[in-house]
Amino acid sequence: MKILLVEDDPALREILQHSLQQERYVVELAPDYHTASQKTHDYTYDCILLDIMLPDGNGLSLLKELQESKKQGNVIIISAKDSLDDKVNGLDLGADDYLPKPFHLAELHARIKSVIRRKNRDGNIFTKYGNIKVNTDTFDVYVEGKIIELNRKEYDILLYFLNRPERLLNKSTLAEAVWGDHIDQTDNFDFIYAQIKNLRKKLMAAGATPEIKAVYGFGYKITLK
Amino acid sequence: MKLIYRILYRLSVALLIVLGIWGAFFYLTVIDEINDETDDSLEDYSETIIRKALAGQELPSNSNGSNNTYYLTQVSEEYARNNKKIRYSDEMIYIDEKEETEPARILKTIFRDQRENYFELTVSIPTIEKEDLQEAILWWIVFLYITLLLTILLINIWVFYRSMRPLYHLLNWLDHYTIGSSDLPPTSRTKITEFRKLNEAARQSAMRNEQIFQQQKQFIGNAAHEIQTPLAICQNRLEMLINQDNIAEEQLEELIKTHQTLEHIVKLNKSLLFLFKIDNGQFQENQKIKLNDIITKLTEDFREAYAYKNIQLTIIEEAYPEIVLNETLAVALISNLLKNAYIHNIPNGSIEIHISSEKLLFSNTGIEETLDENRIFERFYQGKKRQEHSTGLGLSIVHSIARFYHLPIRYFFNGKHNFEIKFHL
Repeated sequence: MKILLVEDDPALREILQHSLQQERYVVELAPDYHTASQKTHDYTYDCILLDIMLPDGNGLSLLKELQESKKQGNVIIISAKDSLDDKVNGLDLGADDYLPKPFHLAELHARIKSVIRRKNRDGNIFTKYGNIKVNTDTFDVYVEGKIIELNRKEYDILLYFLNRPERLLNKSTLAEAVWGDHIDQTDNFDFIYAQIKNLRKKLMAAGATPEIKAVYGFGYKITLK
Repeated sequence: MKLIYRILYRLSVALLIVLGIWGAFFYLTVIDEINDETDDSLEDYSETIIRKALAGQELPSNSNGSNNTYYLTQVSEEYARNNKKIRYSDEMIYIDEKEETEPARILKTIFRDQRENYFELTVSIPTIEKEDLQEAILWWIVFLYITLLLTILLINIWVFYRSMRPLYHLLNWLDHYTIGSSDLPPTSRTKITEFRKLNEAARQSAMRNEQIFQQQKQFIGNAAHEIQTPLAICQNRLEMLINQDNIAEEQLEELIKTHQTLEHIVKLNKSLLFLFKIDNGQFQENQKIKLNDIITKLTEDFREAYAYKNIQLTIIEEAYPEIVLNETLAVALISNLLKNAYIHNIPNGSIEIHISSEKLLFSNTGIEETLDENRIFERFYQGKKRQEHSTGLGLSIVHSIARFYHLPIRYFFNGKHNFEIKFHL
């Protein structure tokens, strides 16, 4: 999998490159519009991470170029602007996702994965990890082929974990993702703990190989036993 | 007190005194003149009679059409010597023709003929006419006095409003002015120097304020925006460290604490940017919002998240108002109010949400004292008890949203903390 990272900030570029390489992606770098334009012209990428504000141009113009040359695909906009207009314009111009800075690396990886999966879909509507399989269309969860009953929140939590396997997930990020942005300042995350406890029990009872581990004070991580 | 009232009040006091003195003086002078005239005519009359009497001519008939009367009587020498030759007096006299007694002005003249006989001539004019005249004059003066006073005041009012029109223009503008609306004061169409100066001063000050406001807004926006990328870098570096397997637990703990602080900064920054965007009017797409639905959905989430505080939440739905708002802003408005009600609540406390057709009221238990209603919507104002996980921007966001839609919002304390938003549908 080859990823083009278009980002003008050297520090962020370095850290994203490092993190992406850890995920075993091949990473190409473009610090400005010119380089990015040249690279997309000459090569094809599985995914492009595109910063909108570049020193010598706007990332949206690059999207337009890609659209014109019919090379569009798998573009995730990463922007510090978090403006609705940019988001709408970007998605209109064929971007697949919009991630406002600052973002969590786990979130970025999940988005990349989901974008690539969507493009190479080959009729696959299942998210799999270990012996857990989730049908994201019907919201059914299978362990070893047997369906298990989860409530709405448990399902959301599980899917969030499955899309970010083996990553340490922050409690507040998890709360935000499952309960919504507004649950971000609570000083007590017992409500997450309660849901995860139930989810764990259900997974264990069904004999699932993945296991949700708590990391003291920080959050949770899903790993294979 | 309005300026016109003060002017009218002062003018009336001054005019009452000055016109009063003038009126009294005028009245007295006129009356004096009338008395003088009466006495003169009495004198003329008596002189004619005396001259006729001395000349031995026939005296005029007593009833000559006028109400004037005269008596001629002979008096002793002693009487003549003891009394003044000419005496004026006001007395009651009997008028034969009318057969009644009336007040009259009387002139008594003592004179002597060639035969050394002393006579006293009494001539009288009924004062009834004079009094009528005086009365009429008094009434006219009073009438004129009042008319003059009213006329002066009315003219003053008219002149005042005519000449003060530019001032009222300016005041009207001031009343409607809100900073950031880039609505400049009326240009000086007036020829009056003072008003031109005033308009110009208001204009310059408004422009300067506007500029400062814009710069400040720009600065906050840019600063918050520029901080995003470095924040992303810090956060991501820490995440990479945390995800390394070979890290010791103590170090992990420290990293996690740092990460949490960083998260807080990210929240703060996001909230600031959000505020900046609201104030900049970047949320334009409005739609009809069903407040009850948003409230129901959000309270469910919050109830779960704050279950540990054991707070009793009641929603009283008196009406189902639909308001034209931006959806993001509507959710932000409700969730920030709700969050505020939860965060600053006490364990086992209560929250009551009252939805009626013209207002929305959030009331919650909390610390037992009123908060400064003038500062409560200020950025970073947190009362006495600082909440560790609060950005101190929630109510500022609420206030900004309310201000953006011109919805009046107020805080009051009645044992509970209340936030009330009125809708104008």
